[in-house]
Amino acid sequence: MTLGDGARIAVIGAGPAGSMFSYFFLSMAETIGLDVAIDIFEPRRFCHRGPAGCNHCGGIVSESLVQRLATEGIRLPDCVVQRGIESYTLHMDVGDVEIATPLMEKRIAAIYRGIGPRSSEPLETHSFDGYLLDLATQKGARVIPRLVTGLRREEDSMRVQCADQFTDSYELAVVATGVNSRLTEMLERESGEFARPDRTKTFICEFHLGRKVIRETFGPSMHVFLLDIPRLEFAALIPKGDYVTLCLLGDDIDEALIDKFFSAREVRERFPDGVIPGHVCHCYPRINIRSASPVCGDRLVFIGDSGTTRLFKDGIGAAYRTSKAAAKTAIFHGVSAEDFGNHYAPLCRRINNDNRVGKLVFRFATLVQKARFARRGILAMTAHEQRQTDSPRRMSGVLWDLFSGSASYTDVFLRTLHPAYLGALLWNLVAANLPGSPSGNGRAEKGGHGHVRH
Amino acid sequence: MSDTKTRQAAQVELPFQIFAQPSEKLPPCQARCPNSGDIRGWLGIIAQREKNGLSFDEACDKAWQRLVEFNPMPATIGRICPHPCEDLCTRREKDGAVSVNAMERFLGDWGLARGLELPQAPKERYRESIGVIGSGPASLSFAYQMARRGYDVTLYDKDDRPGGMLRHAIPDFRLPREILDAEVGRILGLTKSLVRNVDVGKDLSLDQLRTDHDLIFLGLGAQAARRLHIPGENGPGVVSGIDYLRQRKEGRESACGSRVLVIGGGNTAIDAARSVRREGASVTLVYRRSDSEMPAAAHEIEDARKEGIEFRYLSAPTRIIRDGDRVRQVEIQGMRLAEPDASGRRRPEPVPGKLEILAADSVIVAVSQAPGWHDAGSVLHADEWLRAEDDGRLEEDLLAGGDDLGPGIASRAIAQGRRAAESAHAQLRGLERPRSKPARPEISRGSVRIDFYAERQRSPASRLPEGEWLSRPNTEIDATLGDRQASEEAARCMSCGLCFDCQLCFMYCNAGGFTRLEETSPGQYFAMALDLCEGCGKCIELCPCGYLEAREDAR
Ligand SMILES: Cc1cc2nc3c(=O)[nH]c(=O)nc-3n(C[C@H](O)[C@H](O)[C@H](O)COP(=O)(O)OP(=O)(O)OC[C@H]3O[C@@H](n4cnc5c(N)ncnc54)[C@H](O)[C@@H]3O)c2cc1C
Ligand code: SF4
Ligand code: SF4
Ligand code: SF4
Repeated sequence: MTLGDGARIAVIGAGPAGSMFSYFFLSMAETIGLDVAIDIFEPRRFCHRGPAGCNHCGGIVSESLVQRLATEGIRLPDCVVQRGIESYTLHMDVGDVEIATPLMEKRIAAIYRGIGPRSSEPLETHSFDGYLLDLATQKGARVIPRLVTGLRREEDSMRVQCADQFTDSYELAVVATGVNSRLTEMLERESGEFARPDRTKTFICEFHLGRKVIRETFGPSMHVFLLDIPRLEFAALIPKGDYVTLCLLGDDIDEALIDKFFSAREVRERFPDGVIPGHVCHCYPRINIRSASPVCGDRLVFIGDSGTTRLFKDGIGAAYRTSKAAAKTAIFHGVSAEDFGNHYAPLCRRINNDNRVGKLVFRFATLVQKARFARRGILAMTAHEQRQTDSPRRMSGVLWDLFSGSASYTDVFLRTLHPAYLGALLWNLVAANLPGSPSGNGRAEKGGHGHVRH
Repeated sequence: MSDTKTRQAAQVELPFQIFAQPSEKLPPCQARCPNSGDIRGWLGIIAQREKNGLSFDEACDKAWQRLVEFNPMPATIGRICPHPCEDLCTRREKDGAVSVNAMERFLGDWGLARGLELPQAPKERYRESIGVIGSGPASLSFAYQMARRGYDVTLYDKDDRPGGMLRHAIPDFRLPREILDAEVGRILGLTKSLVRNVDVGKDLSLDQLRTDHDLIFLGLGAQAARRLHIPGENGPGVVSGIDYLRQRKEGRESACGSRVLVIGGGNTAIDAARSVRREGASVTLVYRRSDSEMPAAAHEIEDARKEGIEFRYLSAPTRIIRDGDRVRQVEIQGMRLAEPDASGRRRPEPVPGKLEILAADSVIVAVSQAPGWHDAGSVLHADEWLRAEDDGRLEEDLLAGGDDLGPGIASRAIAQGRRAAESAHAQLRGLERPRSKPARPEISRGSVRIDFYAERQRSPASRLPEGEWLSRPNTEIDATLGDRQASEEAARCMSCGLCFDCQLCFMYCNAGGFTRLEETSPGQYFAMALDLCEGCGKCIELCPCGYLEAREDAR
């Protein structure tokens, strides 16, 4: 089952996975002189403000992904990627600490998936998803603005069905619908041979504070909160021009949890006068917390979130990796279940295994959130590292990679097993919790860059 | 959310949420249709047929049934209506208005070809007897709506053939007689009888009719023509547009000569000009305002131009110059448009000294219609339009509708006949008087998101080759849409303000707020669970047709 000249491929969904797949697929086809055509089905428009034109995420991409894309020929322009973020600030009840960019290539960037929050003024930013889709169309992909409602296997093809009764058949169907639509659920019900990804509920909202306020109160820093709130795994405020994006990840984030979060002193103190303003736009996007299975079949492959992704972090990076692997398989090996099974599924398995480690790491983080003495230790160790410039910043590096998703969970985990890390942590746990120690009273001195501050 | 205490503690105005609810709105087409036809409804039956398990034939039958609820003569109106419904059709901004009129015609012809029957009168008849004077569209519409409700209806007309202006004025190349005959015949089939050649006020008094019937409807039309009141107007060679058209419809040669001036800018003027052009004359149409003020339908003007009719704007005749009895010339005064008056209208005023003489063998005057009835006491006074309430009521047992209330278009006449019937039925049965205003607000401009709809070009009807328009003077120029064209055209309707099952809300609502109904029909596809809604507002912003909206009472 290989693709020959004249083959037609349906890509369902024009999020990063769908667009990058199309881009890579058409580029690879071009280099080997294969004449193929791609139809991308996407009923939404990324030029619409608010949730209608947005694929809902915190909008953080690591600089390493930006660089990797650049080597693929995808050079994200400044209007799409705002490289404003130079540090993380970690907020805990025991104090705050700012963690500077460890290495230049580990910087992070903020993006908008759509074109900005609901009823926002035109921003100078452009839609990230829109930009990738444009790249795919420049490579020759055709966008069909229709909603797909079904996929049916036919003898030698896959039949795509749309809500408006349009239907067409293709030699390969690439599902890239993410998990914020019901298509995977519908396919699961209809096909009986596939289990959709498990999902959980997260929360995103946008505050309009104005550039000046944001510069003064948030600075060029992403603010991460480690709070003792059950089910909350990750909370961050990400400055983006005139707006700040709040992103809450965890297990089924609901209004009670959000209320608790907003009631926390550490959170309120981030906003002018300690008052949390009304938000302009919010949604409860779903994330994939367990891979679809299987992620492929004959003439069928699930990429990006609708297949598998990294737990809590770096979803766009995972979309990049899965889309590229799927494109490579389809071009160089074939489109049978076996081809994808041999050349695409292993990548998904690696991601899934790493996610298992990730779960462990987050469980550990939960323990830290629950234990005040542990929080003190981490704060002290990080602050200490940030004051030194020459010694290795083990804790800072672990936190950085954990927050940004720049490294695999396995990598992060292994580093925490390093004797030097463990020794330093132990030392800090003891020191920070001794009566009379600087952070032991829970309040460190106010400080600038690299200092513990409150 | 329940925990208000915590929220106050957090000083958060949470949730600032946008909760969704479905709400049907009036589409622009229906708001503009004088007869408030459910255009979106009958187009939707065809466009969404597969979703609702209907074949094309079944869908068209059903759409026809929906259409004739309000308009019992769709094949006729589908040919002659200037279709204001298309003027502000939302689709216009994208790739051209939906061809509503052509679709109406398609369904009209469909009904005739399939021999579909108008809704049958119930077996139980009411005892009241209804008299209808006139048999034009207003009268036919009233008669139909009363007959189908179970009343015995008798029509009276001073002519020996029914149809009013539709029969006597509208040229064959726009409305073939067989079509009119078939649709009028279908309506008359529901009534008790048509009494021909009875001129009420002359042959029979209105008072007599009022004792014969429990209720009378007056659909007298506007049979007389306004005059120019200029020197030389009286005498041979000067004829009114209506009289000229009637002669032509009766098949009489008009002897207008080879150079004809037509005075006026309405549909009557255009019809007369095009008819006399078909007799071989060279024709100039003289209109006192400029082209943008011309009331005639734009596509008719364009076709007239193609036929070689010359247009003279900002020109008013001041004198008809005769040689003995014969018309020789017409003096034309050049006009200009004055500054807008209080009502915003720009009146034409003469340009001093700008006079011109045009040669002419005859003049057709089509400047306006006028009441044409005899003074019959009570409500009927010669030369005065009837004045009725919104529902056509003149007196307890007397209603009116159509051009006798002032000239309009046929669709308005049908609407007035229908409303009068609804009111009459309510009165006779002791029901609540029906409302004349539409029940829901028109959808606001901009709430239909036209960029969600795929581009689809209008399907043009095929036309007679231009070269044959004059040589086959009685042949219709436009053909009816074919099945395939009709199916494509119906699919162009954006269903403004009513769910058409695009499924975006269902697909993208993360809360699972939308559940598909077992039994679906246009507008009825999903049930919405308001208590599941997470207030993100996504579905509202995605709903292409503006059916979903924000609830006022956010929790
Ligand atoms: C040349 C021309 C072109 C037109 N083109 C269009 C068009 O393209 N589209 C459109 O929508 N509309 C058009 N119209 C307007 C449309 O024809 C009228 O709006 C419509 O016919 C009015 O309907 P009605 O029933 O009120 O009156 P009419 O059609 O005039 O019918 C009245 C009937 O009452 C009868 N009657 C009158 N007095 C008596 C009496 N005393 N006793 C007994 N019977 C009587 C008459 O004989 C006639 O049959 C056009 C009109 C004209 C003149
Ligand atoms: S798109 Fe359809 S519903 Fe909307 S105005 Fe046009 S005909 Fe009416
Ligand atoms: S998309 Fe769902 S959750 Fe969002 S407003 Fe609509 S119904 Fe509510
Ligand atoms: S989004 Fe589509 S399916 Fe949902 S209510 Fe609007 S038209 Fe209907």
